[in-house]
Amino acid sequence: MTFIAEQIVKVFPGVRALDRATLRLEPGTIHALLGENGAGKSTLIKVVTGVYQPDGGRLLSTAEDGSLTELSFGGPLDAQRAGIGVVHQERNLVPAFSVAENIALQAVPKRRGFVDQEAMRGLARRCLDRLDVHLDVDRPVSSLSVAQMQLVEIAKALAVDSKVLLLDEPTASLTGDEAEALYTVVGALRDQGHSVVLVTHKLEEVFAVADTMTVLRDGRSVAEAQPLAEHTRDDVVTLMVGRAHADLQLDSRSVDTTTAPALELENVSTAQGHHNISLHVRRGEILGLYGLVGAGRSELARAVLGLDAITGGTVRISGEPVRISSVGQALQRHRLGYVTENRKEEGVFLDQTIARNVSVTVWRRLARLGLVRGNDERALVEQYREQLGMRISGPTQLAGQLSGGNQQKVSLAKWLAADCDILVIDEPTVGIDVRTKAAFHELIVGLADAGIAILLISSDLPEMITLADRIAVMSEYRIVGELDNDHRYERTSHAVIRMIHAEIAS
Amino acid sequence: MNVPMQQSDATVPTDELATESAQRPPRGLPFWANPRLGLLAVIVVLVLVFSSLRSSFLNTDLTLVPMQQDLSVFLVVGLAQLAVLSLGHMNLAVPRMAAISAFAMGWCYQHLSVPLWLGLVAGLIVGAAVGALAGWIISATGVNSFVVTLALDFALVGLVSLLYSHIGDGVAFAAHPAGMNTLRNDTFSDYCAGNVCGPPVPLIVPIALLAAVLVALLFRLSRVGREILMTGSNARAARLSGIPVSRRVVQAHALSGTLAALAGFLLAINSGAFSADIGNSFLLPSFLGPVLGGTLLSGGAVSVLGTIFGAALTEVIRTGLNLLNFSVQDLNIYIGLVLLVALSLDRVRHVLAERRGSRA
Amino acid sequence: MTSTIDPTSSDARRIGSGNALRLREFVRSTDFTLIVLAAAGFVVLASTTGGNLFTGQTLKAVFQYLAVPILVGLAQMAVLAVGQMNLSVGVVTGFTAMVAAWLMVRVGLPAPVAVLAAVLLGGAIGLANGLLVVLTRINGFIVTLATMTVIDGLRYGVNGTGTFQNYSSGLVKLGQGSLVDVPNVFILAVLVALAVAVFFRRAVLGRQLLASGGNPLAARLSGISNDRAIVMAHVLSGLLAGVAGIVDVALSGSVNASIGDDLLLPSFAAPIIGGVALTGGVVAVLGTCLAAFIVRLIDVAQAQYSIDKSWVDLIVGAVVLGAVLVTQVRIGKKGART
Repeated sequence: MTFIAEQIVKVFPGVRALDRATLRLEPGTIHALLGENGAGKSTLIKVVTGVYQPDGGRLLSTAEDGSLTELSFGGPLDAQRAGIGVVHQERNLVPAFSVAENIALQAVPKRRGFVDQEAMRGLARRCLDRLDVHLDVDRPVSSLSVAQMQLVEIAKALAVDSKVLLLDEPTASLTGDEAEALYTVVGALRDQGHSVVLVTHKLEEVFAVADTMTVLRDGRSVAEAQPLAEHTRDDVVTLMVGRAHADLQLDSRSVDTTTAPALELENVSTAQGHHNISLHVRRGEILGLYGLVGAGRSELARAVLGLDAITGGTVRISGEPVRISSVGQALQRHRLGYVTENRKEEGVFLDQTIARNVSVTVWRRLARLGLVRGNDERALVEQYREQLGMRISGPTQLAGQLSGGNQQKVSLAKWLAADCDILVIDEPTVGIDVRTKAAFHELIVGLADAGIAILLISSDLPEMITLADRIAVMSEYRIVGELDNDHRYERTSHAVIRMIHAEIAS
Repeated sequence: MNVPMQQSDATVPTDELATESAQRPPRGLPFWANPRLGLLAVIVVLVLVFSSLRSSFLNTDLTLVPMQQDLSVFLVVGLAQLAVLSLGHMNLAVPRMAAISAFAMGWCYQHLSVPLWLGLVAGLIVGAAVGALAGWIISATGVNSFVVTLALDFALVGLVSLLYSHIGDGVAFAAHPAGMNTLRNDTFSDYCAGNVCGPPVPLIVPIALLAAVLVALLFRLSRVGREILMTGSNARAARLSGIPVSRRVVQAHALSGTLAALAGFLLAINSGAFSADIGNSFLLPSFLGPVLGGTLLSGGAVSVLGTIFGAALTEVIRTGLNLLNFSVQDLNIYIGLVLLVALSLDRVRHVLAERRGSRA
Repeated sequence: MTSTIDPTSSDARRIGSGNALRLREFVRSTDFTLIVLAAAGFVVLASTTGGNLFTGQTLKAVFQYLAVPILVGLAQMAVLAVGQMNLSVGVVTGFTAMVAAWLMVRVGLPAPVAVLAAVLLGGAIGLANGLLVVLTRINGFIVTLATMTVIDGLRYGVNGTGTFQNYSSGLVKLGQGSLVDVPNVFILAVLVALAVAVFFRRAVLGRQLLASGGNPLAARLSGISNDRAIVMAHVLSGLLAGVAGIVDVALSGSVNASIGDDLLLPSFAAPIIGGVALTGGVVAVLGTCLAAFIVRLIDVAQAQYSIDKSWVDLIVGAVVLGAVLVTQVRIGKKGART
């Protein structure tokens, strides 16, 4: 069957996440769905798999005789029944169950209320055979490697006869060899007439395995089901990025290079696998740390903050070697703050008031005789409400009721309140709409202008090129290059991408 | 893994941009969604019903004074549980923390002849130490607080009765330190300046109220208390905001142990002896007060006022049904039902309030 | 076509030595540790009491009074499987025992009918627990705490503090009898345990409960209703508690409302020591039975040496804490860091 998501519109409060996006999937093809962070890829996937209901557009499937059927998904199960399977980034398996049972979970062969073990194993083996994968079907899934679990998930989709298979960042946590094996399996699926959708940041892989592509930009499909053979990599990047973001044009800022760097890493290695990382950032400077998802950027930040062990090298703050063992210590002794990437899980306290969220880092300072006065807290909120342009109803509003952008501002305000000299800001604008994003960029530049040293972690290249003074590029837990940013999009982006690909290719 | 029993559907992927009101009740609900007001109304109605059925319900010596004494104990017991509910933890060892502290107090009075206050302090320290031990095991191993405190309770059951039979005097201490009987029998109406006497409030009531006020202040205004709540709200975010999470866990459990010890002391005063069965009846009341009062098991928010009302409601029901000649066992049926009905209504009220809120 | 680089090729080698691998896994398992502990405990106890343990009557008592702990342990395990708890296990056991006796003594029903009715009553209480949890969305701990209180009252409502006795002599004979020196009630408990094991290992419903407990999201996406799983787990738990109640009636010959008072903590101790996680998704029938046996051995030791009964609680508590710590160490430090 051919599956078409036609002119899909999806609106969230304040954001038009999808604006007439079209995805057309032919049988027997590997189709790449491309786009920057925030372009609407994950929303489109959720519409196609029945997690979201679209606000406009249609989902269609054509049979072999050319007749059209309109589909309507009330939930993920409906999409599965219509033959659309998805391999999630978050594992969707029952850990204590065997491989066979996980594969057959949706289509358990039954005999008088009992699981038909032989039929179940048979089904699982058939599915694995179709992928040409050899796995002991009786092994518990919890004993498998991540790569093997992924194969089990694909087999699971085959067990319910999925015609369309969506792979969301399938190689994010795989080694090169494992990724290659996975793509062999994907090729086999195509040859059997399945339509495979590949969502990935890794353009190398796209050009190696995909046949056609759809490119999303700002919720629209700017290229629809075009053969990849007709495109070069530069074309695709241009399609994804569009015009270089010219919203905020910056002059190179002058940074005082005579004093010791505010934060300096020299040959740092970590328990997580970072090797010989050296970088530094001065007061008033924005150092961009760019890399793909899984390159080890956030992990480096966590190690610097004492959340993971540093096994070698030196961390210096204002020239002094330091050993940081906790975030509290980083904050109180070194005025180093970390605006986390994952704001809902790590950045804000959703069920607490904005006042508490903002003042959590400074209760020590606000307290008199161990007691915190509410007035001081509220004054703090009012201060940052103005400075950061937070749209809130008041200090006692719950953080969970705010939009993503405003939550991010709350998360940032917490560190500004603590009067940090050094800020590590991790993926500040993921999932934030375009206008708020621009405001955020101005804010970050403003902080640097005020003399704060900023280590900006981002996988959003235009953002990086807009904001950073220098860009360090990380790949597979190593720094593979560093360059001065001249804020010229074409040149810098190509230089950065070349650094990463040179590394991956080698 | 500190929150043991989230509803299994809580893992449903939530929309990145929508609010999370479904998971935890927002605070900006209309006033009638406030469980404390509902509780107060129910208490008033019950008092009216009981006093019209039995006029002795309002008798000072027979009913009101003992009721206040019991209420003081159960309030403090509730606070002991509330101290760890703030983290999203539970303390099933509240009964035995009270018991072992009561043993320590009784032993001090018996063998060291210490004054009343000093024995109390010793008992509170023992309670705090046992609580801290529970907190330490939980934060060091990451094991569910339910399992740890259940096992600890088990171990303490044995330890307490061994202590009483080996270094105690059987099942109770005979010692009555000076002041114990006064604290037990007197009310403020026994103290008169000229012809103005105090209200018929037992002397232990201020102790319990003081504990409640201190706990309320701790969680509302102090840095440590607030950081405990933040830890309960989101432990990962708390750690990344510079809060010493393990230390706060230990402190919350130590507080729980201290309050359990205080409850043990108050019960010993009420019953007139430091004995092995102190704490036996504490487990259910420890949850009744806070939970009826609107404190969630998920952590991050506590209501001390609600706990007072929750404890008061159960005490009114207990006393009222007693006067109506219900047996102790029948009491349980009604108290359990009240808990179920109250919580179900609370749920209904929330759903209604949220619906109304989202329409507005 | 064949994968050029097959991440699974190492499996081919492992399959060859599959049996050796499984043996090694078994040796490392909780079950194995428990078997060794149980056997060692039994041998030590038997030898230090001068063979006293092997005299027919003592040995019989050891296993007779193992039946109820096994059954209530399984009752708790059933709800732990879906990540729930059931605090009412103990009082349901007592209540169903009282109701069964009441039906026979006061109503005059024949024993089989009373037995069936009591077990079904347990199931009905479980159904009520499950429905309350699902419909109100209140935490299962609190729901069963409340129903525990209610049933505690009802238990005494049947006959106050009075004792029922002289009910069906056939039932008592059956309960106290034995088949080739193995007590009937113990055989019953083992059969029930086998049935529970088969249910969780092979039955579609049992697997659905475990899938729901292990990964609710995956279960839901596979068309399994998590709500239904929670309700069914509570029903099963209630049924098992009901069977435990019947065993009490049949074994003791007289029952009063205090039955079930001391079962709450053991009901958790057996599955937790046996290796069941509170997070759901795992059951360990053998482990639960073995743990119940070990706790029983401690009881026997207490009786044999006439030690203070308090030691039993102290030791069991310490053993649970120890089991918890050991499990954590086995999982390793990697979990603690995240």
